Parts: sequence; structure tokens; C-alpha cells
Amino acid sequence: MAWLVVRLAISLSLLYTASAVFEDQVGKFDWREQFIGKVRFALFDTHSQASKKLLVATDKNVFASLNSRTGDLFWRHVDKTGPEGHIDALLMYGQDAVVVVGNGRLLRSWETTVGGLKWEAVLDTGSFQAAALIGVQDFVKYVAVLKKSAISLHDLSSGSQIWVENLPDSDTVQYQTIYSGGNGLVFVLGFVPSSHIVIVEYKIEDGEIMKKKSVEAAWMSSLENSCAVISSGNLLCVDQTTQSLYTLPLQSAEHTEMRQIHLQTLDLEVASGFQPVLTSTQPNPAQPPLAEFFLQLSPDHHILLQLKDDLIAPLRDFNPSYLAAFATSGEKTVAAVMTPKNDTACSINLFSADTGRRHLDTTIIYHMDPNGGKPNRLYVHAFLKKDDSVGYRVMVQTEDLTLTFLQQPGRVVWMREEALADVVTMEMVDLPLTGTQAELEGEFGKKADGLLPMVLKRLSSQFILLQAWMAHLWKLFYDARKPRSSVKNEVTIDTLSRDEFNLQKMMVMVTASGKLFGIDSKSGTVLWKQYLEDIKPDSIFKLIVQRTTAHFPHPPQCTLLIKDKDTGLGSLYVFNPIFGKKSHISVPALPRPVLQTLLLPVIDQDYAKVLLLIDDQYKVTAFPSTKNVLQQLQDTASSVFFYLVDSSQGKLSGFRLRMDLSTELIWEVVIPTEVQKIVAVKGKRANEHVHSQGRVMGDRSVLYKYLNPNLLAVITESTDIHQERSFVGIFLIDGVTGRIVHEAVQRKARGPVHFVHSENWLVYVYWNSKFRRNEFSVLELFEGAELYNSTVFSSLDRPHPPQVLQQSYIFPAPISTLEATLTEKGITSRHLLVGLPSGSILSLPKMFLDPRRPELISEQSREENLIPYAPEMPIRTEWFINYNQTVSRVRGIYTAPSGLESTCLVVVYGLDIYQTRVFPSKQFDVLKDDYDYVLISSVLFGLFFATMISKRLAEVKLLNRAWR
Amino acid sequence: MTSPGGQGGGALSTRGGATSKRMKWAVELSLGNCRSRGDRQSKDGDVMYPVGFSDKPVPDTSVQEADRNLVEKRCWDVALGPLKQIPMNLFIMYMSGNTISIFPIMMVCMMAWRPIQALMSMSATFKLLESSSQQWLQGLVYLVGNLLGSALAIYKCQSMGLLPTHSSDWLAFIEPPQRLEIMGGGMVM
Repeated sequence: MAWLVVRLAISLSLLYTASAVFEDQVGKFDWREQFIGKVRFALFDTHSQASKKLLVATDKNVFASLNSRTGDLFWRHVDKTGPEGHIDALLMYGQDAVVVVGNGRLLRSWETTVGGLKWEAVLDTGSFQAAALIGVQDFVKYVAVLKKSAISLHDLSSGSQIWVENLPDSDTVQYQTIYSGGNGLVFVLGFVPSSHIVIVEYKIEDGEIMKKKSVEAAWMSSLENSCAVISSGNLLCVDQTTQSLYTLPLQSAEHTEMRQIHLQTLDLEVASGFQPVLTSTQPNPAQPPLAEFFLQLSPDHHILLQLKDDLIAPLRDFNPSYLAAFATSGEKTVAAVMTPKNDTACSINLFSADTGRRHLDTTIIYHMDPNGGKPNRLYVHAFLKKDDSVGYRVMVQTEDLTLTFLQQPGRVVWMREEALADVVTMEMVDLPLTGTQAELEGEFGKKADGLLPMVLKRLSSQFILLQAWMAHLWKLFYDARKPRSSVKNEVTIDTLSRDEFNLQKMMVMVTASGKLFGIDSKSGTVLWKQYLEDIKPDSIFKLIVQRTTAHFPHPPQCTLLIKDKDTGLGSLYVFNPIFGKKSHISVPALPRPVLQTLLLPVIDQDYAKVLLLIDDQYKVTAFPSTKNVLQQLQDTASSVFFYLVDSSQGKLSGFRLRMDLSTELIWEVVIPTEVQKIVAVKGKRANEHVHSQGRVMGDRSVLYKYLNPNLLAVITESTDIHQERSFVGIFLIDGVTGRIVHEAVQRKARGPVHFVHSENWLVYVYWNSKFRRNEFSVLELFEGAELYNSTVFSSLDRPHPPQVLQQSYIFPAPISTLEATLTEKGITSRHLLVGLPSGSILSLPKMFLDPRRPELISEQSREENLIPYAPEMPIRTEWFINYNQTVSRVRGIYTAPSGLESTCLVVVYGLDIYQTRVFPSKQFDVLKDDYDYVLISSVLFGLFFATMISKRLAEVKLLNRAWR
Repeated sequence: MTSPGGQGGGALSTRGGATSKRMKWAVELSLGNCRSRGDRQSKDGDVMYPVGFSDKPVPDTSVQEADRNLVEKRCWDVALGPLKQIPMNLFIMYMSGNTISIFPIMMVCMMAWRPIQALMSMSATFKLLESSSQQWLQGLVYLVGNLLGSALAIYKCQSMGLLPTHSSDWLAFIEPPQRLEIMGGGMVM
């Protein structure tokens, strides 16, 4: 019976919290963008003329097919992260795409139309060097994979291994390239640095070594890039130090030395310090490569050369030229070369490969984005037109990972911002008010200058409002006549304005490549982008909103702190988050490495919050640092504290600001690094509001929350990873005094630990290594039945330690990230947003993570609406806020409050970006979507008229009765 | 009892029946009509009375000694009314239970509102009791009865949990404490 009651209670509580998206709500307030990352290999499907497929493999271990007409994804396969899923090579022949994955671990063949796996072969161990398609008698039948010490041949249609052979002297010789000209032989090229080149010749049928020879090449440092095989088996190498080209026929036995051709004889010279690059093309793997090749002599100098009768002749010199690429369509091979036109544009031209002659009317103008980077890769898709001339389209990849697909005469067909596949940090900024609203705001903002001008000003602004209203009415009227589909207005940067409930915001996203984006949160449109050049990879970014949109006419202001990982030096980039423009504010020079930043609630005369930057000598730099700010800082210095956590030394230290902007150490906590290591520290979010100061108990007394805004949650992991001895430590430390408020150790537990620290609770997830499962644990802190001081909170005066309650639950899925919802006033109940590796985002009510959940239900616990304790945490599919819009490789979830108390904006980023709204307590302040306005208003009007009529009837009747 | 007016009306109605059946009576003030009426009345041999005239003597309504006791009794009835209701209220209270739903709430409201209404119209009640000799005592009893009634209602509210007597009822009004220190920082970047 009791069990029945428990189950009933649980199901009732689930009913209460159950909320899912209805079918007609799909895509109404949510959107998803899918990305692939930086393209490493791109191949156009030239199998048929009408094909629209573009196959790409990227550095994010993604193998995908793009629609070359629209840029949308046909299909996408996301492999494991890290070196295990790294795509080493991509080859395509006909309908098959062959991919080598994980440093030569797997060989896979994909069907390109639907993206299905045809076969997969596990390769022998050994680091991957090269892969090539091997053709025999005009048919491509095999794929050869070269490893450090072995070569293997696989059948292209089934993946079965034909043979595998060990390479001779593989411990001294570095084998790097495979070549086959379709004549039944496979050449493996290797070299011994600064000594000689080794050429091994294999028979395709059985892998027998036909020939092995070594050729003197003392200048050789690398085969890749600087060597290529051209024109029926001629090895061609270029060397920068000797300024020479070297050729060697692979098959002839008599040549024991490479023929040297000085570049001077061709009137060429390699730019100093530049490693020259040779680019050849082999249109069909069953045929020998073409005799023409590109030689890149400097970053912007290419030359098209031809090898003919053992002589190298220049066909065309492209100086200056940024990029050059070959493309083949049918029998014709063309070369596309990108040359600079002026400062903002490049022109791409098509040249016939065998003569170097320019094709007429083939110019594509590529306009470079002034806020973007330089182009660095060119992919050409050539096709035969009806009149048998060659047409082409190009895809340009730039430094900022923008893919631009162009067609003649320079029309941008589509664009993809692949930098967004790697979002590092983001913020949401309120949009500005509309012009009219701003006008009104401005009126109050300006200083009063006499009665009459103020009246006039008021009248004029009222007139403007009236005008705007008339214009709005006119627009409504005008739009009403048009069909519905054509009314859809595009969001542009000029029409941006805050909506009624502040649901539409600007998402400012910082990506690892150093490109900043401003994205409209309603539609996902990229409204502005800004590429910051000279950003080293692995830099650390910190984005701070210094001034919001609330201070009209001052523009909002964001500051991005970029810290170079190697030098440790930081730089500040200040910009307007709405328009993406760089602000012309003098930025303090940061001569010393920055350790941390601290945003103070102190504002300067322009309403910008003051940012403190702490350098490695614990000196503080203020930004902005006007006189006013320094004065204010002196006044508040004694109450400004900051903490630094040094994970490598296991040290937490607290500092206090002095009047002269130096600091003094006031506390230090050392967590010995030989036992455990600090993995994460989190305080509470600055914009978090807690509406209720306590919890109402079943007997209607209050349990007051311990709401310490200075509390830090420090998570440590043991250095010993043995499953019996490993543990996870949780420390709750007051950031002002350094007092350890609570300390807990989770034994037989392992990381990675994900946690959320908010209000008076801390939720963390760890791996229980004893039971091999994920567990949630929740800590809640309470002050007790009495508040110590209800008016002010000071960490320096807290004599009583809080009561700590804890409970743990089993979570039946792994977790990739954890975040909590956030609302404007904190009245709405909280949910936890759990990012699962499957790509789903689970909205888990915090109600389920409540350490007061009783094991035995009592009258009081029922009164409190506590769900009886159950060790297993449920996962309900209707709690997935992103239904089938899964987000690959969730890295972070960002939550922001909206103007509606019930609504929280959620952005999930990883490989994809997903934006939605969640309603943790349902939409209590909004009428439902299916609210029947017609019925309600017709009933209202009906009642109104019925009242009128019956009133009249009653009057008549009364009068008549009076006359009777 | 037949009044002359009634008679007259009857006479008129018979006459009126000729013109309009719906009229119960009518006074005709015009001279011509009067004459004709007079003619008819004289023909009937009746005397014309003014409207509202009664030829029966009106009974003597002056207070007599026997009524004084009655008044006293009546006044006590009024004064004890609220007290008499209390057992009934207790029973209703018991029956309605402590759950918060529309009917108990309505009952509690009624129980609370009635004594308050009675207390508000205290002066009217006093006017009623004016004639009694024990006016002040009766007033006091009436007051006590009503106070008891409202106390009962308050008790009921209390047992239903409608009174803000717990600290949890004032929780929403507690402002978040102001923080005195500014703190920030994090892992060394």
C-alpha cells in the first residue's frame, strides 16, 4: 500500500513537471546550426555532371557531404574526438569515398549518395604515412595504405586485404609516398635524411618486390610537398638550399643519380626562408599524372611548369598569385589561379593546364571580407558546359575558416562560418531599444534646460512617437494585403530592436580561431563577424560585458581579454557587441602576464563597469582608469577581495585590494598536489537572483538558506587513479576569508566532475568506480530556523557554520556538460540542463535533486511536496528540450534570463549550435499558443450583448408590469 | 373588507371594461367625466369618498403594559441571537473540515462576515433595543455574542491555516541581504 502511494506521488509529481515541446512548436523559438570544422580534404563528386555533392573531411574528425548548390549538409558523420578519430586521408573514386581514420587504424569506404558505410577494414598497427588508389588497366581496383613499416593493398569493392608486405630497412628509411601509374606496379618512396632516396617497386598481384634502388640525395629533408611524381613516373623534387629542381625516372635502372636543374636556368628563385611546394595532378589513378605542375616559390608566387622530353619549361608565371589548384573534368584538366586584384578583391582565372593559356570569360571576382582573414585554400570544381567548354566553381577557405562557394562572375552561392564549430565562450547582450523608445529614453537622460524647451522637447518626441505609430499602422495595413509568405522580414543589423519581452538577444560568440560573431538569438542569423588577426592557437579568451544596452545613449561595450598561452601576455579588445565595431577607447597596456580579471559593480561616469586585471606580481590595473574610477576605487578598496587558484601548486590564495591598487595576501589554503589536484573552481553567477530566502517546511516554519555570495566550490580529484583508492573532493570555501565552510570526500569516485554551483546548492556528477555508474550528488546549505543577519551579508561576520544536507542519485547516462537555468527574478523553479554525449539536452527539475527527499513519506513531507527518495534518477524523453535536434559534442551550455520570468534562454554549443527557450515552471505568465482568442472574445461579446438585450427586455417588462 | 375606493373601482372597472379591460382602476379628473360619474353615482345612491378613505375605525395602537414584556422578550431574542448561532456554527465547522476548498472557504467567509456585519450595524441594533429597559446589558450580550462568533471564525481560519501567523507566511517579504564585500577571481589563466 505504501509503495502504491509512493508510486502515485512520483507519477503525480512527474505529471506536474512534465513539459515537452508540441509538434507545432518545433522550430518556433528554437534553431540549430550544424557545422563541420576546418576543412582538411574536400573533393567534388565529378562522377556525374548533375552531381551536387561535395565531400569534406575536417580537423574536427567530421566526414560530411555538402550540397554544393546551397551549402547544406546532405549527411555528416562525426567520429571520435582526438587522434582516435583523426581523418588521415580521403580518396574518392566513383561513388565510393575511402577514408583512413585514426592514424591508420581503420580503412573505411562510404557510399557517397546516402552516406552509408560500405565496408570497414581494421589495419595493422603502425603510424600512417600515405594512401593512394591503385589502378590496373584503366580500372581502379585497389587502395594502398603505406604505414611506417608496411604497405598493404586492399580491394576497393570489398575492403579485403590483398596482401601486406613489410618495407625493407624501415627502421632507417622514412617511407612517405606511394605512386602508381596504372601499369601494374606500385612504387614506395622513402628517404634517409641528408643521404639518399629509396625506391621500392612492388608487383600489384602478389606484393612481390620487383626492384629496390637507392639514389643519392644529400640535400633531401622531406619528401612531402617538396617532391611529386609527374608525367609517367618521373620523380621531381625541389630544394631551397641548392635552388634546384631534381628529376629522376622511377622505372629506369640505369639512373643512379638525380638530374639537377638549377632554377637560375629557368630564371626562377625561391624566396628566402620559404619551403617551395610542388603540386602535381593525377586526374585518373589508373593513368600516369600530367606533365604539368605548379611550383610555389614564395607565399604569393606560383609558376606553372611542364616537363617535356626531360626538359622543364615554364608555361606561365603567376606573380603575384595567392593560390593555385588543378581540376579535371572529363579529359580536360585546368588550373585555377587566384591573383590579387586590389586591396579588397581577388580574381580567379582558369588556365588550360597543358598550354597555360587563359580561358576566356572565366574570371571570378572574390571579394575579401574586410573583417575576415586571407584565403588559404582553393578547391575547384570544373565541369563541361554544353558547348564543351570548361566551366567551374570554386570554394575558398580563409584563415578565419569561412568557406565561400563562388560561381561566375563572382556570385557567392553560399557561405559557411566554420569557425563556429569551435565556440570558446559566449555572452548574450540585450538588443538596443527602437529609435522611438530610445528617443523617449533620451529625453529623460538629458539635462533639464528650462521649462519651455522641455515642454517643446516632450511635444516633439510625442510627435515622433505618433509618426512612428502611424507608420506602423500603415505597414500593418500594407502587409495585410500581401500574401503571408512574402511578409517574412529579414533580420538585419539596422532593424534590430528589443522585443516586448526581451526574448531576442544578441549572442556574442568567441571562437578558438579568433573570430568573433554576433548572432541574432531568434533566427540564428550571423549579423556581424570580426576576425582578430595574429591570434595564436590555444589562446585563452575571457569575454566581459562592461556596459549593457541599458545606458542610452552610451553604446554597450564588451571587452575580450586574449591571453597568449606561450608568452602569458594578455591584450584587450574592446568592441560594441551589437554592431561588432571596435571601440576607440584607449586600452591599458599590459606589460606583465595577466593572472585573472575581476569585474566590479563600480561604474564610471559613462556607466561602464570597472574591470580589474591582476598581473603576476599581484598588481592591479583598472580599466577604464579615469580619475573618477580611481577615486571610487580608493573608497571601495577595503571591501574588494579576489582569489587565485593555482592548480599546479594546489594553492588557493585570497587577496585584498589596497588603496594604491597593490594587493595584500590575506589567506592561503594549500591542497597537497601529491594527493589531489584541483580541477575546477566555481563561484556563483553574478547575475543570479534568489527570490526566496528560505524554504517552507511542512510545519510551516522556515528553513533559511545559506546564501553566501562569496562561496566557492572547489573540486579536486585524487592523483591515485586506482579504482579502490581514487576519490573526488569537494571543498566549499569562503572567497573572502578563506574559511572552509564544508568539506566532503566522495570515495571510489573518479572524474571528470561536472558541477553547478548556484543559490545555496551544489550539484556535481562523478563516476562511481566501484559500481561503475554515473552518480549525481547534491549539497544544500541552510542557516537554520533563524537568520543571523537579514539586512547585510558579510563573510567577515558569520559565527555559525551552515547546516549541510547531502543526497546522491544514480544517473543512467554519461554526461558531457551541466548547467542550471536562470531567470530574471529567480521566482521560477530551477532546472538542470544536462548535455548528454548522444547530443540530447535533458532538462532535469531541481526538485529531483533535493537532499530533503524523504525515504519514508510523512504528512509533513507531503505538505512540502517532496518526492520520496528513489536512488535512480529518471530520464524522460519529453524532458529532452531539443527533441531530435541533437547537438554533436556538446561543450557548453549558456543560459540567460529573458524579460519574462517564466522563460530562460538556452544556447548549447559544441560542434553545432542550438538555441531554444525553456520554461521550468511552464509559461505561467504567458497565454498559451493555442489560446482560443476567438472563442473567448466571442463569448465575451455574446455575454455583453446578451446583458444589454436582457436589460432592455427587463426594463420593458418592468414598465409593462407597472402599467398593469 | 370592501373599501369605497374598491367599490368605486368596481364601478369604474365595469365601466372601463367597455373601453379597456386591462385597467384595474382609473381616476378621472376631468369635469365632464365627473359629471357623468356623479350622474351615475347619484343614480346608484352612493356617496363619493376620497381616495384612501376608510370608514372603519383605526385600532388603538398606543403601548399597553402587557406589550412591554413582549418588547423585552423580543429584545432579548435579538441580543441572544448571535450566541444561539454558535452551536450551529460549531457543527458546521466540524462538518466542513480543514481542507482548503471552495465550500469550507465559503462557510468560513460567511461565518466571519456575519458577525462583522452585525458589529458594523451595531447602532441600528441599539436603536432596535432602545425601547428595552435592559438596553445596555442586551447590547453587551449582543456584542459578546458577535465577538464570540468572529473569534470562532478566526479560530476556524487558524485551523485551516489561513492566518499569516507563521514565519513562512512573511518569507516572500524578506529582502535579499546586501553584500558588503566584492569578490571575484578564479583559476590562474
